[in-house]
Amino acid sequence: MTALLLGALGLTLSLLVPPRLAAARWPDRAPAAAVALWQAITLAGVLCALGVVLAGPEELVRAVGAGRTVAAAALLGALAVAALIVARLLVSLAAVGGRSRARRARHRMLVDLLDTAEGDLDIGELERGGAGGGGAGWRVATPGLRVLDGSLPIAYCVAGRHPRVVLSDGALRVLDARQVAAVIAHEQAHLRHRHEVVRESFTAFYRAVPGLLRSRAPLDAVHLLLEMVADDAARRRCGAPAVRVALERLTEPMADTPEAGDAARARRVARLSAARSPGAGVAALVAAAGLLILPTVIVVLPWITRALNEWPL
Amino acid sequence: MALGDLERDVMAQLWDAGEPLTVRAVHERLSRRRELAYTTVMTVLDRLAKKGVLVQARDGRAYRYAPAQSREEMTAALMMDALSAAPDDAARDAALAHFVGRLRPEDLTAAIRAAGQGARSGPQSGAQSGPQSGTQAGAQTGRAASTGTGEPGR
Repeated sequence: MTALLLGALGLTLSLLVPPRLAAARWPDRAPAAAVALWQAITLAGVLCALGVVLAGPEELVRAVGAGRTVAAAALLGALAVAALIVARLLVSLAAVGGRSRARRARHRMLVDLLDTAEGDLDIGELERGGAGGGGAGWRVATPGLRVLDGSLPIAYCVAGRHPRVVLSDGALRVLDARQVAAVIAHEQAHLRHRHEVVRESFTAFYRAVPGLLRSRAPLDAVHLLLEMVADDAARRRCGAPAVRVALERLTEPMADTPEAGDAARARRVARLSAARSPGAGVAALVAAAGLLILPTVIVVLPWITRALNEWPL
Repeated sequence: MALGDLERDVMAQLWDAGEPLTVRAVHERLSRRRELAYTTVMTVLDRLAKKGVLVQARDGRAYRYAPAQSREEMTAALMMDALSAAPDDAARDAALAHFVGRLRPEDLTAAIRAAGQGARSGPQSGAQSGPQSGTQAGAQTGRAASTGTGEPGR
C-alpha cells in the first residue's frame, strides 16, 4: 500500500503537476517562493521514487508469502536500485557542475582578455551619464565589471569565485546610467543568490531522469523565475521603469523558440508594473514544505499504525 | 600590476601589431610604458599560448606569437557563448541546435562583427555607418539574434 501511494504521488509530481505549475501565472508575483516550490516538487519526486523502490519489494514479498531467501533477495535488489537512483543523480550533478565550471572559467579568462574598460573609466562614464538622474540610489560599485567591444547589446554574469558582470559596448550605448545600474543590479542578484547552482541542479536532474518521465517544464520555468527574482532586485534598486527599458533594449539569450523568448520577455515586462502578492508566496512556501514532508509521512504512517495496533494501551 | 592586466595588455599589443611578434618585440612594446622583466613577458606569452588564445610559431631560433583569432572574432565567439548560455548543457544544446537551424553561426558571427565595426568609433569605422547609426544597427542585430528570424548576412 505504501509503495502504491508513493508511486501515485511520485507520478503526479513528475507528470501532472509540472505542466500545470508551468502554465500558472501566479508565480510571476512570487518568483522566489515559486522556485522553492519547484525545488520541493522535484525533491519530493525523488523521495517518492526511493520510497517505491525500498517499500515495494518488501510489500510484494509479504503479499505472496514467500520464504526468507526471496525476501532477502528482494531487499538487496531494492537497496541496489535505490542506490543506483541516488548515484545517478549525484553523478549527473557532478558532471553538470564540472562542465559548467570549466565553461565559466574559460569564458572568464577570455572576457578578461577582451575587456576594453580602462579601470574605473566605465564607472566614471556611468556617473557622468547619470548627471540628469539625480545620482540617487542607482550608483552601483561593480568589482569584476567587464566591457566587451561590439554593439550587440547584451549583459550577463559569469558566476564563480571571481565573478564577472559583463556588458557590451552596445548595451552601454542603448541604456542610460540608471538603466545600466539596473542591469548590473540584476546580474549581481544572480551572483549573490547563487542562481547558477539552482539552474545547474535542475539541469542535472533533467539529465538524470529517464526519458519517459523527463520534462523540460521545471527547467524552463525555474530559469524564467530566477530572471524575475533578479528583476525584482534591480527594481528595488533602480525602479521599475529602468528595468523595463533595459529588458526591452537588451538582447536576450537564445530561447528554445523565438515565440518562447518573446513571451518570456513580455511576462517579465508585464509583471514589473503588477503588484506583488505576499499571499501567493506564503502559500507556495507552505505547499513546498508540505510536499517535502508528505513522502516521509506516507512511509512512516503504516509503521506507526502497526506499532499502535501491536501495543494496545 | 595584476597578472590579468598584463595578459590583457600583451593581447592588445599582439592584436594591434597585426603580425606575429617575438618575445623581445612584445617586451619592447610593453616596456615603453613601464618597467617589465623580459622573463615575465615570456611567461605570460607561454601561458596564453597554453590557453590556446595565442599561436606559437618557430622562426629561426626564436618563437613568434600571434593571436589565434582577431579581437572581433574572439569577441563574437564569446558573445555567442554568452547568448547560448541559457540553462547549461541540455537546454543549451537544444537552444543551440535550434538556433543553428534558423541562423548559421557564421552569419551571427558576421552580424556581430559588422555591428561591432559599425559602432566602433575608431579608424576602421565609417565604411558603412557612423557611430550613431551603429547603435541602431546593433539594436537591430540584437533583435535578430534574440528571435533568430533576422535576415542573416545583410
